[in-house]
Amino acid sequence: MRAYIAARLVTAVLVILGVSVVSFFLTFLTGDPAEIMLPPGATAVQIAKFRAEWGFDDPLAIQYWRFLRRAVHGDFGVSLRHGQSSLPLIAARLPATLQLTVTAMLLAIVLAVPLGVLAATHRGGKIDLIAMGVALLGQSVPNFWLAIMMILLFAVSWGVLPTSGRGGFAHVVMPAAAIAINLMALLTRLVRTTMIEVLAEDYVRTARGKGLREVFVHTRHALPNALIPLVTVVGLQFGYILGGAVVIETIFTWPGVGLFTIQAILNRDYPVVQASVFILATAVVLINLAVDLLYVWLDPRIRVA
Amino acid sequence: MTRHAAVRALGLTAAALGLAVGASAVAPAAAAPTGEVKIGLAAEPNTFDPHLTVGRNSQIFIVNVYDGLTARDAQGNLVPALAESWKRLNPTTWQFTLRKGVKFHNGDDFNADSVKFTLDRATNPETKATIGSELSTIARTEIVDPFTVNVVTKAPDFLLPVRLGELFGLMLSPKHTNAVGKEAIATRPNGTGPFKLVTWAKNERLVLEANEHYWRGAPKVKTITVRPILEDAARIAALQTGEVDLISPIPHVRIEELKRNSKLVIKTIPAPRIFHVTIDVRKPPFDNVKVRQALNHAVDVNAILKSLYFGYGTRLATVVDKGALGYDPSVRPYPFDPNKAKALLAEAGFPNGFETELDSFTGSIADHNKPAEAIVGYLQKAGVKVKQNVFEFSAFGPRRVANQTAPLFIYSIGNSYLEPSWVIRWLTQGGLGMHYKNARLDEMLTRIEATDDRNRRAQQYGDVQKLIKDEAPFIFLFQADSVFGMSNRIDYTPRPDETQWLYTLGLKG
Repeated sequence: MRAYIAARLVTAVLVILGVSVVSFFLTFLTGDPAEIMLPPGATAVQIAKFRAEWGFDDPLAIQYWRFLRRAVHGDFGVSLRHGQSSLPLIAARLPATLQLTVTAMLLAIVLAVPLGVLAATHRGGKIDLIAMGVALLGQSVPNFWLAIMMILLFAVSWGVLPTSGRGGFAHVVMPAAAIAINLMALLTRLVRTTMIEVLAEDYVRTARGKGLREVFVHTRHALPNALIPLVTVVGLQFGYILGGAVVIETIFTWPGVGLFTIQAILNRDYPVVQASVFILATAVVLINLAVDLLYVWLDPRIRVA
Repeated sequence: MTRHAAVRALGLTAAALGLAVGASAVAPAAAAPTGEVKIGLAAEPNTFDPHLTVGRNSQIFIVNVYDGLTARDAQGNLVPALAESWKRLNPTTWQFTLRKGVKFHNGDDFNADSVKFTLDRATNPETKATIGSELSTIARTEIVDPFTVNVVTKAPDFLLPVRLGELFGLMLSPKHTNAVGKEAIATRPNGTGPFKLVTWAKNERLVLEANEHYWRGAPKVKTITVRPILEDAARIAALQTGEVDLISPIPHVRIEELKRNSKLVIKTIPAPRIFHVTIDVRKPPFDNVKVRQALNHAVDVNAILKSLYFGYGTRLATVVDKGALGYDPSVRPYPFDPNKAKALLAEAGFPNGFETELDSFTGSIADHNKPAEAIVGYLQKAGVKVKQNVFEFSAFGPRRVANQTAPLFIYSIGNSYLEPSWVIRWLTQGGLGMHYKNARLDEMLTRIEATDDRNRRAQQYGDVQKLIKDEAPFIFLFQADSVFGMSNRIDYTPRPDETQWLYTLGLKG
């Protein structure tokens, strides 16, 4: 088990390194910060001076080497725009993003599990039809559109929720719902399918044979087993949720990593982009590792040699 | 203070005043700042270090915490601020007489030391000032006495008093700046301005509090909370629900709908951003002035303003904006006349038009791509087959800097100096994608720049505009209006130079 975790950690480091290479070269391919950083009156000489001062006139390979050498010490450089160390800037925004994404995940699970179970136990019936309809809608609705519609309805027309920004619990409802909707739809279908499979298993028949009430058969025997694949999918979906958070954080001006990163990309603030990519990639890799370990623990049939 | 508490406090103050003045018809305004106003803006400053600001959005906001040596009034005229007066001693020396008794927020005195320290810091290469280009004419700053400084420039610089105003001359306290260090000054400014920065959580909120000892007199509002709200729809929603009292910008398409809301006031003002298409006059057929004039006749700019900006814009005859010094309304724009365009092209030897390319981009401070699409459409109709290349702004920038643009590219320049010569010099710099040069124009500008008297400068700009119009080195386009939305409980007048000057902001009633 220890060897397994060690191997996975080595892979994780390689993945993060790979992500950093790709993101480094991609951001440089698309533009130069000089034009954005300097006022319009800047002359060619002043632009060249700026590029030299920040080392943007060096070959890319050298710039990457310089970046890597510092990065191993946790130093991603000073943000061009904010004039502060980029890693702490990103780290300070992590709690907001975690609050949003975790709320979204919980919301998706809390809605998806009962809906999926009901659909499975009433397979082919009206409830199944409604649940699958909801799932289909949830998967096909673009989240940015939904976000704006929610603002118009819940904030402007009904005045029950704040329009944007971060504050109390009320502030997180709409952005979390906008992120949750696609995951909720996916999970509902998943729970329904696995539940249907599990309900056909022998131990379920045994439980019924014992004369247990149907509610207990579903909740005590079938559901725990049906939820195991859910753990994997939720873990794998975490990356997508972070991706969704980028869009939703921008719409709601939610002060998280996603919003900060988008602004950094638009401003060609390379140190911040790099720090953010590093943190997000690390988060995704670690969560996937945690999910795999959790899976081993949840399903005794799987054992790591 | 919550809004409720603020309104209540305001009511109590008004009631108290009412009692005090008894039967007097008009209650005098309370002298002490009161209440809170919440503002939703699309962008927040990147820093409060005036030498490291990036973009106009930063510069137009941090003036609320600082002062320059000069300032602008509501009409955009240059007025005294930390300098009471200034004069040019000789072509390269400007003398500023400083205001006495001004204190920084922390109590430090403002004097000639502050000016020298600030300008030395701005021009010191170690500062890596982003705004360095705007102060690059400064050679040195000399203290004459505690309230007089001479700023010596490398070459005559008639714009220096403007530069050293709200644009790039915000004054720092030497003691505080040295004490907190370069990184901390970004979030812990200490200016002489009307407001103090209380808290700033980036991407979240920024709180300003009135400087009750401000030398112009205390501002009217005690607390101003600024929330960045990036998404247009969310920003408008925040105004509609009363979460904020003032927002900017507002997409032009939403103006009419919001004007129908009786709780809101929508104000528009021409922004000094001059849209134009740069023509590479070095490359045939654009070296022929008839071709350039034909392009100007071919594009229906009024129709573009009507359909894309819903009429909230101003057609420009040249690259001089309406709010600039010496704008000459007698220089009329090229009328939209496709037949004239075709005739001119035929005269120039292109009866069947020709093929060319036009660069546009997305992701800059304003939308350049939609007007570019419309322009391309009009040029096609006149027989000029245009291939449009769309870039991301940060990818287009390096192409322009390296002179690798297409023969035509759309661009806009913000005339933050409100001075035509600054814009025209930039547009005719002979590099960075702009290749038009004209000796007579240079001569006219040099003469204007040697004139310190504004009114005499203004008179001379008429001829400049006539010459540029006839030469047509650009397809002249328009300036769009800036749009501000506010609740009817506040009073705010947007300024013509885009500065978000909150000193004059007040609560009604």
